[in-house]
Amino acid sequence: MSITDQGLLEREKDTMTLNMGPQHPSTHGVFRVILEMDGEVVRTAEPEIGYLHTGIEKTSENKRYVHVIPMTDRLDYLNPPGNNLAFCLATEKLLSVEIPERAQTLRVIMCELARIASHLVWLGTHALDIGAMTVFLYCWREREMVLDLNEEISGVRMMTSYIRIGGVAKDATRPWLDGIQNFIDYFPAKVDEYEKLLTNNPIWIDRTQGVGEMSREDAINWSMSGPALRASGVKWDIRKSQPYSGYEKYNFDIPTRTNGDIYDRYRVRIEEMRQSREIVKQAIEKLPTGDFKAPDNKVSLPPRDTLHTSMEALIHHFKLVSEGISVPKGETYVPIEGPRGEVGFYIVSDGSNVPYRVKLRAPSFLAIPGMCQMMSGCYIADVVGIIGSIDIVMGEVDR
Amino acid sequence: MTGEEIVEQVKVGLPDFILDTALPQGDAVLFVAPDCLQKVATFLKDDPSLKFDYLSDVSGVDYLIEEREPRFEAVYFLYSIDHQHSIRIRVGIEEENPSVPTVSRLWKGALYPEQELFDMFGINIEGHPRMERLIMPKEWVGHPLRKDYPLTTEPVTFSYNRGYKSELVKSKPSTR
Repeated sequence: MSITDQGLLEREKDTMTLNMGPQHPSTHGVFRVILEMDGEVVRTAEPEIGYLHTGIEKTSENKRYVHVIPMTDRLDYLNPPGNNLAFCLATEKLLSVEIPERAQTLRVIMCELARIASHLVWLGTHALDIGAMTVFLYCWREREMVLDLNEEISGVRMMTSYIRIGGVAKDATRPWLDGIQNFIDYFPAKVDEYEKLLTNNPIWIDRTQGVGEMSREDAINWSMSGPALRASGVKWDIRKSQPYSGYEKYNFDIPTRTNGDIYDRYRVRIEEMRQSREIVKQAIEKLPTGDFKAPDNKVSLPPRDTLHTSMEALIHHFKLVSEGISVPKGETYVPIEGPRGEVGFYIVSDGSNVPYRVKLRAPSFLAIPGMCQMMSGCYIADVVGIIGSIDIVMGEVDR
Repeated sequence: MTGEEIVEQVKVGLPDFILDTALPQGDAVLFVAPDCLQKVATFLKDDPSLKFDYLSDVSGVDYLIEEREPRFEAVYFLYSIDHQHSIRIRVGIEEENPSVPTVSRLWKGALYPEQELFDMFGINIEGHPRMERLIMPKEWVGHPLRKDYPLTTEPVTFSYNRGYKSELVKSKPSTR
């Protein structure tokens, strides 16, 4: 603004710059976006990230492989088992370890429960952003059940670190399996309840349909992944296209929609919750017996009771705890399907017990430029809806 | 297509632009010089039987401790949604004035990871529309993911690492 000869304020340009975040409640963490506004309409949206940068990639280069696992929990803090799994799969690929069937099934159960919990957090907060308060409370009620199951098996509610190199931390217990059975019997009726509140709600439809649209070509070109890509009509799910941990043995659908707007992303995620419940159900039914970690003493700790009777087990235990796992020289990349899209770890090993380079492919990070593309031309009230519909987690954006 | 078939197809299509190929654990990997990157990337995207239309990520690696020439490497992860196959392109980058051409004209998704590559490794991306820091603050000095960048900013560590190349191996952290 400048002052004219008459002492009046004169605008230099027709647009107004509006800062949103990083402390804005509906930017889901510390995301900041600078909006160039023309009245109510957003002309351009410029993202600003880095407020949650913790240097996890750099720290990983100075920690042993096993010590990296708890840090991966903190990347995408709504999907800790998925991050653990991606890191472990990449390390195991370099080590060429065979994972027992039971461990693989337990991994699948944990990942799918995490997907349900993550989508519940998304649905609750997204609906709250748009103005539907009740859904938030309902979603938190069901998420609490998943967190209780996490606590039962790993001792921790969120940062489970349950999936380890070579298998899982602890074998499944009967009360835990019964708890999951209770949850999957109870859950479908609750998803119907959320849908009753939102799917045909005229206010919800007005706020979401035709807002934040992205075409199939744009979604691919902007490297969107997961539900945001599937809502634009791309039938791509890594669990089907590059199966890992035995996902090829489960019977489930990939929900897709064609419009690529907020409403379609909502419908895709709701359907994904049902499909995840389906996978957990099948996994519980055919949970095989056997080891819960690879019987390879160079990779996983020997059973606790053998330490008192076997010298060899004691030596392996000592070496693994004091020195860690040595991974052969090489580099590899393994992608998995997280709740937000493709989560992948690129690991370079120099043959020692410390990774030479760890790189996370974070779906939220890659989705931010595309998300800001959607914002141009929409109303300011829809900006929070668009941010919510992409479901960004700043922990993995800034790393 | 399997990794072997992809590598064969690229070798036939672009014999003069590929430095080397590899198949670690069955993944297709191409080694490409920086000035050939755009040519190779365009071929990989446009060839109908390869059709790598999706860019998963761009990563950087600093091979300082390995004493490998060239020092830096940019890694491009590509995927084909229609054919469901993937490939990695590894581009070696010299230590002096490190720079690599942008691929963001082919895949817009590359804009952010390329900017991160500049921020974290100091590799200049030719033709990138916004060559500035992304994650670190604008006034930050140094590129954190380089191997000669110390893990902490304690003054002692700083002066000790100054003559890095030979000293660095000795100054590795105690967890090793």
